[in-house]
Amino acid sequence: MGSYIVRRLLYGVLTFFGITLAVFILVHSVPGDPISFYISQHMTHLSQPALDAIRHEHHLDEPFIAQYLYWLRDAVFLNFGNSILDHRRVTDRILEKLPHTIELNAIAFLLAAAIGVPIGLWSAARSGRPVERASAVLFFLLYSLPSFWVALLLMEFFSVKLGILPLFGMTSDDYFELSNAQKLLDHARHLVLPVVTLAYAQMAIFARFSKSALTEVIRQDYITTARAKGVAPQRVLWRHAFRNALIPLITLLGLTIPYLISGSIIVEDIFQWDGIGRLYFTSILSRDYPTVLGLTVATAVITLISGLLADVLYAFADPRIRFEAAR
Amino acid sequence: MMWRRFRRSKLALIALFYIGVVVLIAICASLLTSDPNNVDLASRLRPPDRTHRLGTDDLGRDVLARVIHGARVSLSVGFAATAISLIIGSFLGALAGYYGGAADWFVSRVIEVVLCFPFLLLVLAIVALFGPSFLTVMIALGLTSWTTEARFMRGEFLRIREMEFAQAARASGARDARIIFRHLLPNAIAPVLVSASFGVAAAILTESALSFLGLGVPPPTPTWGNILSTAQQHIDYAWWLALFPGVAIFLTVAAFNIIGDRVRDALDPRSE
Repeated sequence: MGSYIVRRLLYGVLTFFGITLAVFILVHSVPGDPISFYISQHMTHLSQPALDAIRHEHHLDEPFIAQYLYWLRDAVFLNFGNSILDHRRVTDRILEKLPHTIELNAIAFLLAAAIGVPIGLWSAARSGRPVERASAVLFFLLYSLPSFWVALLLMEFFSVKLGILPLFGMTSDDYFELSNAQKLLDHARHLVLPVVTLAYAQMAIFARFSKSALTEVIRQDYITTARAKGVAPQRVLWRHAFRNALIPLITLLGLTIPYLISGSIIVEDIFQWDGIGRLYFTSILSRDYPTVLGLTVATAVITLISGLLADVLYAFADPRIRFEAAR
Repeated sequence: MMWRRFRRSKLALIALFYIGVVVLIAICASLLTSDPNNVDLASRLRPPDRTHRLGTDDLGRDVLARVIHGARVSLSVGFAATAISLIIGSFLGALAGYYGGAADWFVSRVIEVVLCFPFLLLVLAIVALFGPSFLTVMIALGLTSWTTEARFMRGEFLRIREMEFAQAARASGARDARIIFRHLLPNAIAPVLVSASFGVAAAILTESALSFLGLGVPPPTPTWGNILSTAQQHIDYAWWLALFPGVAIFLTVAAFNIIGDRVRDALDPRSE
């Protein structure tokens, strides 16, 4: 068990270096260094020695590998330098927006799991019947809907036509004049549409995943054994199958995080939700390289850590993994 | 054999037929409609009527013509990006599966790294850094989505590399490259094609999202995504701008997903 976790962690460290190297290569394969882009836009009157001094200060006159190591030294401590836009620390800017994104995604994630998993298990238990086939097609259709289109239609219907929910933003204009209870309600009303937009596709993923997990378990010999020795069908499902079908859901924890972050970019842009997805998109548009780099590494590391966590939890939940790894 | 089982699903046949029609429409787009970039400021934001069956956009351009021409961008980006990821994925997966050992270890680590990045984030970064164009969108999608293909290919190669026909090829003195490309690859390609069908769906979805965000194939080229982004600016009024391109994206993506799903079922011997 211990050796399995240690090995997983070592690979995690290796992956971290891979992530930083990939991001660094990506940014450096762009023609022209970031400083010359910035300078050409903001200070055209600088003399050549002054330019060289700036380059030297940012290590841009050194070989590629040295530049990477300088940047890595800071990145390990989650220091990504200052934003080109407002000269504030990139880490501070990210930490300031992160809670908004977590709030939105946590609610969407829980909602999707609470609806999707039971639907998936329920339809797998009715394997082969029309209702199972229909639900499989329905999951596919939900999964094929472009989220930004769904968002537009929701806005069109609930905000423009019915006028019962706000179009975008996190709070209303008169938020600070409201009482506390009204503030809570106002914020909740702003949450509804973005949460629904994020949750519907995830719900389909959860449903499909838990359905195939249960279908897989039902094919196992120990289920046949339980049936053969006369255990009631309902009891086979509840006692023998469901618990084992839930274990693979742990891996979804690691798999959905990058998916959530991708979804946040679109949803936060449409609903003007002030989280890291929107920060990333505006940084890309304004070519704020330090913020783009910092966010790319930060989100990849979040994915890496949640994946490691999922693997470790999985090993705790399923002894077969531990034994296989120990061999 | 596989086709016979695939054919049994009516839904999959409908999806296949639909894609055939969309491909035809995309090829003949110029014959079917007027110029999609024909600006007519006198008839801005007209709802659907006789002359403009799907209405007009904020520059008075015909939405039907733009949706039909948009199919070209969506399909060609979808197929081209998938072709790139198929080539990269098959190559790396084949190397890892055939040689095992260090090659396998290295490819697996690279896949782990790529999977850590949120897909859209990486695509946005590549497109924004190198400037949005048809080519960068296609390459960005291809470079970021090959991991599934690689894993499938690796698995297949591991399964078949010690089979008799592979050993026979080796015994007769064939070089590695010949064994990989002539003998093993044709036998390993089927499951990879399943992931390619899902790949086309994902690429079309992502391309439309990029266009919607303003970082796809640049205007005035009509894409389904950038019509929707115009729709967002006129959301309080022009419902037809939001409805039709969205339906086009949804149906096309759903069709590729359904085909992928049914081919997978047809290949899976347990699904009988």
